[in-house]
Amino acid sequence: MNWSNIFSATLSAFFGVNAMYFALSAIGLNVQFGYAGLLNFGQAGFMACGAYAVGMTAHYYGISFWWGIPIAVVYAVIFGLIMGVPTLRLRADYLAIVTIALAECVRLIVRSVTFKKYFGGSDGINQFANSFVNRTPFNPSSKYSLYPFSDSVNAIGAVLLLVSFAVCSVLLGHMLAQKWAKEERQGFQSKWIICGVAVMVFLLVASKQTEYDGLSFKSLVVGWILAAIIAGFIYMLMRSPWGRVIKGIREDEDAVRSLGKNVYSYKLQALILGGVIATFSGIMFSVSRGSVQPDNYSRDVTFYVLTALVLGGLAKVSGSIVGPMLFWGILSFVDAFLNELTKSWGGHVDIFGIPLITESSHIGVYVQVVIGLMLVFLMVFRPQGLFGNKKEMALDGR
Amino acid sequence: MNPGDQLKKRLQHFVALLLVGLAVFGMFAEPAHADDLAVKVRVQNQVQDAGGKTKKEPVAGVKVVVADASGASVGEGVTDAKGVALITLPAKADYTVTLDESTLPDGFALQEGDAERQVQGAAFVTSTVTVNYFTGAANRATVGWWSQFAQRLADGARFGLILAMCAVGLSLIFGTTGLTNFAHGELVTFGAMIAYILNTDRAITPWLAFPVAIIAGGAFGLAQNEFIYSPLRKRKIGLVSQMVVTVGVAIVLKNVFLRILGGRTKTFAAFNNQDCKRVGPICVTPRDATTAFISLIILVCVALALQKTRLGKATRAVSDNPDLASSTGIDSQKIIRLVWILGGMLAATGGIFRGLDEGVGPFIGSDLLFLMFAGITLGGLGSAYGALVGSFVIGLFVEVSTLGIPIMPGKNWPAPLDWLHNGVPSELKNVPAYVAMIIVLLVRPQGILGRRERVG
Amino acid sequence: MAADEQTLSETARIARAALANVAPEPGVAKPDPIMTAEGVRRSFGGITAVDVERVEIQRGSITALIGPNGAGKTTFFNLMTAFDTPDTGKWWFDGKDLEGVQAHKTADMGMVRTFQLTKSLTKMSVIENMKLGATGQKGEKWWNGLLPFTWMAQEREIEARADALLARFKLDHMRNEYAGTLSGGQRKLLEMSRALMTNPKLVMLDEPMAGVNPALKQSLNQHIKGLRDEGMTVLFVEHDMDMVHDISDWVIVMAEGMIIAEGTPDQISSNPAVIDAYLGAHQGKSLLEDM
Repeated sequence: MNWSNIFSATLSAFFGVNAMYFALSAIGLNVQFGYAGLLNFGQAGFMACGAYAVGMTAHYYGISFWWGIPIAVVYAVIFGLIMGVPTLRLRADYLAIVTIALAECVRLIVRSVTFKKYFGGSDGINQFANSFVNRTPFNPSSKYSLYPFSDSVNAIGAVLLLVSFAVCSVLLGHMLAQKWAKEERQGFQSKWIICGVAVMVFLLVASKQTEYDGLSFKSLVVGWILAAIIAGFIYMLMRSPWGRVIKGIREDEDAVRSLGKNVYSYKLQALILGGVIATFSGIMFSVSRGSVQPDNYSRDVTFYVLTALVLGGLAKVSGSIVGPMLFWGILSFVDAFLNELTKSWGGHVDIFGIPLITESSHIGVYVQVVIGLMLVFLMVFRPQGLFGNKKEMALDGR
Repeated sequence: MNPGDQLKKRLQHFVALLLVGLAVFGMFAEPAHADDLAVKVRVQNQVQDAGGKTKKEPVAGVKVVVADASGASVGEGVTDAKGVALITLPAKADYTVTLDESTLPDGFALQEGDAERQVQGAAFVTSTVTVNYFTGAANRATVGWWSQFAQRLADGARFGLILAMCAVGLSLIFGTTGLTNFAHGELVTFGAMIAYILNTDRAITPWLAFPVAIIAGGAFGLAQNEFIYSPLRKRKIGLVSQMVVTVGVAIVLKNVFLRILGGRTKTFAAFNNQDCKRVGPICVTPRDATTAFISLIILVCVALALQKTRLGKATRAVSDNPDLASSTGIDSQKIIRLVWILGGMLAATGGIFRGLDEGVGPFIGSDLLFLMFAGITLGGLGSAYGALVGSFVIGLFVEVSTLGIPIMPGKNWPAPLDWLHNGVPSELKNVPAYVAMIIVLLVRPQGILGRRERVG
Repeated sequence: MAADEQTLSETARIARAALANVAPEPGVAKPDPIMTAEGVRRSFGGITAVDVERVEIQRGSITALIGPNGAGKTTFFNLMTAFDTPDTGKWWFDGKDLEGVQAHKTADMGMVRTFQLTKSLTKMSVIENMKLGATGQKGEKWWNGLLPFTWMAQEREIEARADALLARFKLDHMRNEYAGTLSGGQRKLLEMSRALMTNPKLVMLDEPMAGVNPALKQSLNQHIKGLRDEGMTVLFVEHDMDMVHDISDWVIVMAEGMIIAEGTPDQISSNPAVIDAYLGAHQGKSLLEDM
């Protein structure tokens, strides 16, 4: 067993591209499901909107790929309208069914031979993001780590990394405090700050183990900064009167309607806002690989984002950032662990004579089983996420 | 013991059960063989038989070459009697597969796609990636439009019956408990899988294997209710949360099935390779005719049972108004249990029939799930008859929509209009069904047979 | 057992004087109606839940809507506030035709309702619940949500108003608690005071006394009377006959979806049609003892 491999894979995934684009998508899903209570099962469709908008710029429209960003937003708004207009007056389960069916339609259409001219069929679209890929400062063929004091990081980068570690730790400390602090006091408390600092030091040392190629690293920097900015906006928005109406709708839409709010319009706004944010997730994911592939936007992606969100906690901005990090951390741990286990057992994992793993492709199956179990158990026992608010949990029992 | 602990215990039991199940079926599963990375090229000739149905026949002796990204050849092969050439590869990377058209038999020409195909490194989810080539005679024999239409209608009716059988349980479960079960497709797969394992791996006669699989399907449905949803209801977990739980259950089951069955689609040992018999304008195999007939009988029985028997009436009463039903002395938990058993058995039957038709794979049920939803929505959520009729209509619609109406001889229409003329491409044949569902929701949200006040 | 003339407030005297000469019969015209419904009918799968020929609600009065269970009172509320649409019929509020008007618009027009089962937004604090009731908050537009300076001043104003109302309904000590921690009676109070945040002209209360402990009932009575004193019109559904007698100026009786009687509380308690309707439903219990 090579534990250092497992450890390195886990940590790299913790801050990696997958966690980044899941975080963007989860922030959007959080607006829809966490705050407004809209069960959108078509998040992958919104992500595909973003990915294909940037992909099609060069492939079909023949324009600079940067135009893809405004086009993506337009796509997402249109997609949100198609999804929301027929269903938002109806019960929650209709929304779930229609959103998932529409997202599936999108996937079928973009991967079809019929529309290959526009979307590139099942191969998708490749090499469209050169103006992003070839942009300095990060060299695609070099390796980078998140360790601020490594040779590949300059002074500004080091400061930025240190600051983001600090923010991460304070956030985590605050979340821990919410969960376990006995006395109810507002603001940060010193012992939790110490806890946060400890986490930060740990992350700092551990970050030495992370390793990304130049393109991933560039996408990471852009993506996480984007996620932080959007998360900040959502944080503000949810504390505004608009957010109050949205949260009210989640609790009881009839009550909100009786108070003169146009519930339908607010639900549509939340659906579209969440969708537009998810679009950026699709954009970031596709540019981080320099390609768009239709099967990266299957329904399972929506479910995984949902699992990641529930893991971090619904209706909390921090939950939608930390959730995807933990989600990919756990998955990569399980994956790397099983890989190492299989290797050290000579390519076979038999338990009581039952061949559980006989080839490396079987490991993916168990990783997905872990996702499914995580979703079930979280939804039943920890709907507020791993770091749920104590008070709100108490209210759930009613 | 408080309900929470009890739930925890039950869930633990369920997980344990799942693992044991996995273990047991793991023993049944195919003998393991370590696959090298490979591209599997399959060349098939498409022939239309007398009924206008496309049959695929393997083409042997065709040469294919695989080149890496730099254009250097990494391997080549010639298709065998099954029309398959397996070319092993050094690593997961991007490759180009090229079919040598000069090696095709005389009179054969490639029909869909180019001779040169791209295979992406990302496509290696399993160790083998399949590339399909289809050939055909340059001039396809044309069959009259009406006989094609009759054939599609017959196929559609058959598919509709199977879909209806799968969907009735979903609708009944929704009606009695309010739960939208995203794991219902897995009940369908489960039936097909058990039947396949018993029939093909264990070589048990289908007359025993299929009923056993159906009973197992009922037991599986019951187990899901007892170990997952019943405790959740007792704990008063919200319906939306329960719906998310079903999604998790679906992910788990789908992957367990994938591990047991493997990724490839398999055919039953029983009733394979039948020739179709001509009945008027249509052509149907005895197997398909039998499954359609049995499906029809089962569905009529279910409808009659709901209409006439005491239990059926009680089921409908619980669907209409659970509170009222329980105040009149109906044990709603008993009804729900019954509905899960019935739903599981019907889904298993549907799965077996679908498997006979299309082969057994780990996703045959989940691929049907949205069509079931479309059918149920069309018929009115929660109404069993609605599900029956709606699913039948959707099944019919999906099959028939692939046939165009030759009244618009325009050349360059935008896709949806072109579909009207040429038929929906089969890769997109589910799309019109989903669109129909959305239009129904927009115009008549209660569905064809639903009543207005059921909604919202 | 009408309330003693001496204890009546000025507004109550005006309201009762205006209704004094109105004939006690179903569908009778009032001198100054704030709400009128005509030919409103709604059936559920063959069962007619509401079938109202004509009814008018007098402005500035407290009107009680009573009737046995299943008489269609709540359905009538739903129809008037656009939470449900009638099969046929027309209805007006303050002279404006309400046909085709959406539920949230009725609140903007000055018509607010509460629900039989209280709808406190349990995971929001009491003060947030209150602030949600305010209409016209600019920050409820999403683009303003990100620009606090566009709504901060208004927010402070709304908060002051909410605090004043909370103090009046004696909920100020629960201000920052989750609404889910309130008792049943407190939730009723919260829902009523939240409704008042919309500055309504007509307040429609669906069983305001259900589940409220007797000690709180008296003060709730006073609060409802207070609404009239501030110039609002109150329409309420109630089963507690003592309360109906105590505070209402006019009583409308529904049975099997129809309005079978109208009149002052005294006229109603001696109306044989009302007694019949209740006897049918209450199997011989005395009308005014336990209704």
